[in-house]
Amino acid sequence: MIDALFEGLLLVLQWKALAFMLLGVVLGFWVGLLPGLGGATTLALMLPFIYTMQPVEAFAFLLGMHAVVATTGDITSVLFGVPGEGTTAATILDGHAMAKKGEAGRALGAALMSSLIGALVGAGALALAIPVVRPLVLTFGSPELFMLAIVGLAFIASLSAQGGRGMLRGFLAGGLGLMFATVGQDPQAGVERYTLGTLYLWGGLDLVPVLVGIFAIPEIIDLAVRGTSIAGDLPPGRLNKGALEGVKDTFRHFWLTIRCSLIGTFVGIMPGLGGAVAQWMAYGHATQSARNAEERKGFGAGDVRGVLGPGAANNSKEGGSLIPTVAFGVPGSTAMAILLGGFFLLGLVPGPDMLTKHLAVTFSMVWTIVLANVVTVAACFLLLNRLATLTTVRGHLLIPVILVLVFIGSYTANNHYGDVLVTLLFGGIGYLMVLGGWPRAPFVLGLVLGRIAENYLYISVARYEAAWLSRPVVLVLIALAIVVICYPLVQARRSGADKDAHA
Amino acid sequence: MRSTLTLIAVLTLALVAPRVGEAQTSPYAGKTVTILVGYKPGGGYDATARLLARHLPKHIPGKPTVIVQNMPGANSLIAANHVYSVAKPDGLTLGTFNRNLPIAQLTKVTGVKFDMTKFAWIGSAASETTILAIRSDLPYRSFEELKKADKPVVIGATGPGANTYDFPLLLKEFLGANLKIVSGYSSSADIMLAIERKEVDGRAGSYSSIGPFIARNLVRPVIRARASEPGIEQLPVDEQLAPNPRARAIMALRSAPEVIGRPYVMPPGTPDEQVKTMREAFAKAITDPELMAEAKKAKMELEFVSGDDALRIVKELLAQPQDIVDEFSKYIKFGE
Repeated sequence: MIDALFEGLLLVLQWKALAFMLLGVVLGFWVGLLPGLGGATTLALMLPFIYTMQPVEAFAFLLGMHAVVATTGDITSVLFGVPGEGTTAATILDGHAMAKKGEAGRALGAALMSSLIGALVGAGALALAIPVVRPLVLTFGSPELFMLAIVGLAFIASLSAQGGRGMLRGFLAGGLGLMFATVGQDPQAGVERYTLGTLYLWGGLDLVPVLVGIFAIPEIIDLAVRGTSIAGDLPPGRLNKGALEGVKDTFRHFWLTIRCSLIGTFVGIMPGLGGAVAQWMAYGHATQSARNAEERKGFGAGDVRGVLGPGAANNSKEGGSLIPTVAFGVPGSTAMAILLGGFFLLGLVPGPDMLTKHLAVTFSMVWTIVLANVVTVAACFLLLNRLATLTTVRGHLLIPVILVLVFIGSYTANNHYGDVLVTLLFGGIGYLMVLGGWPRAPFVLGLVLGRIAENYLYISVARYEAAWLSRPVVLVLIALAIVVICYPLVQARRSGADKDAHA
Repeated sequence: MRSTLTLIAVLTLALVAPRVGEAQTSPYAGKTVTILVGYKPGGGYDATARLLARHLPKHIPGKPTVIVQNMPGANSLIAANHVYSVAKPDGLTLGTFNRNLPIAQLTKVTGVKFDMTKFAWIGSAASETTILAIRSDLPYRSFEELKKADKPVVIGATGPGANTYDFPLLLKEFLGANLKIVSGYSSSADIMLAIERKEVDGRAGSYSSIGPFIARNLVRPVIRARASEPGIEQLPVDEQLAPNPRARAIMALRSAPEVIGRPYVMPPGTPDEQVKTMREAFAKAITDPELMAEAKKAKMELEFVSGDDALRIVKELLAQPQDIVDEFSKYIKFGE
């Protein structure tokens, strides 16, 4: 095993593999920055180029590209409030809020450093999990996956404002998200739900136009109304020292970063949960780290921990999602499904052999994820402070550029004008939610988990009837969901007690 | 002076004429042909189109550039409607869609704004071989033994309209197989994982996607639909076991589109000459040794069906008597 670990490293360090990886990194860098154009699509487009490559070169190229997409996606999210990727939307809540306070550099530093740590943890988990991966994945059947979705939904409690009214609004927003998740043909009877007689809505709402609309449009309106730069009228001198501060933040909240990385890895390992879920669970967990009501209110208004959590999780999940792909030949995400095609092209059959005969190739993938992220983060740090100064450019110069990015980005989802309409509609909803003080995070969580929860619940009941409720892991997860829901109440009581003590 | 001018004119003509002639014989020179795919990048339809896009140009006189464009949505109804009524019939657009579109037309799905028989058919690049495979550790070794199962065999499926659902449904309804279909898995890969953890006992799907798991001895194939592939010819065919002509007709109707599993068409009204050029190029490209080598590497089974044959199959499918269509619609919904 140790031999294979080093053999894998040597494989990646061959000059050709390394060159292809760097090429992939450069491509992934841009794909990540641009909203809409996602990692999965780009992987599909790049697949034909690997015919003539050796396995290690091909994976260095594809994974190198894919590994950095989430990293640079964070940059767009922080700077402009436009999700660079569907998987980096959660970074906006606090990252962009920090940019508006003139702390763009610090937010970017934190996002990148936590991305790096996340990638390392994910890769480490991939390496460590290799001996136990089969039983681990096989423990999680449909009932367990359904309960994981419920635990995810329970995080709404943490994502909502405190107090009865805040909770109520949070859960209502989550319910609205769940309802929007039902749009499209249902998978049990093939009935069309809420499709308004259009063909466009048959496949359900695409996540990218919804996310871009609900997060980016309110920011653009806000920027236009304020008539200043994103960072307000702060003197530009303050921005330059930020990046290093962000790195320090990562180590100040080191254990939070590690815990969020582990959440991301775990969600990645579970096939069928999807990458969009990891960031929100991590964000929810980050808000739980608030020690009192004052701190809790800071989330969404630019708390650096709200950047660290999702930043770490959306990178660590990549290592995680390689696990089912490699071990079972069953992809953990869309991108991995395309990668699976790459395995075939190279004459490798994913499955148990990848953990024995081709172990060195598997480890070379781990190393690729590590190296690609180190290279990207290092390169980004050279650019960071310059990027941060974008937030001091006057709004009316930026808005046209951002608008173009927003609409082209959402149009790439289906190449259909419906994408643009969805963006506008959810932009309107998003703006009203911001005005009325309704939290957007629970809404998105409901949307991304709705279909997963519905399908796995159906399968669990159809397959096991009521017996699925008595499975041990399900019971543990039920308990976990209750803890997650009750945690904010405990938090509130504790901070109340603190106040009494001070008084 | 005059003669000099004539000479120049003649010389110029002599230089230019052959080029003019060449351009006339190949209307594709310098042009771009677009293959419109009814799905997002990454799936089987998309992969086949991208493979073809790389090898078609050398077989078309004038060597045009061939690009792939994705127009996903509504199980590729959107793309089909587009090619039918929006795309220009200038020989520069090819469409490749869901093989079940003829079924959508037959069962009068809302949103169908095309007549499959009016497209200029180029052919099909592959057939889809549907099989039912069950876990190897189950005691049933054949379909006969499976039929005698005393407790239901659980089959995982994605949803109505997909072969993971429709094929076992007809086996259950007409051949009396004791199956319990559980649908809602997000992809066929997800069902495979459910088989690994013994949540379900088997699944239906294309032979190409189940093949690696048969090779690993995780599952064993027990029955197939009409289209076949080397290695599984000896499996029983669902239609042949049908107890009555009605059942046979319905099973045949379900599997008819699978023979033209990767259909390629051009807009109605495309000039015959361009259609002929494209048909020839398509036929040559699919049997091109380089393309075949790449397809083999990617584990894609290609099988050429000519435009005429494809159109004949579609016409047959659409000419079903109404009572069969009504009965069929009770079981099968258009999807995927």
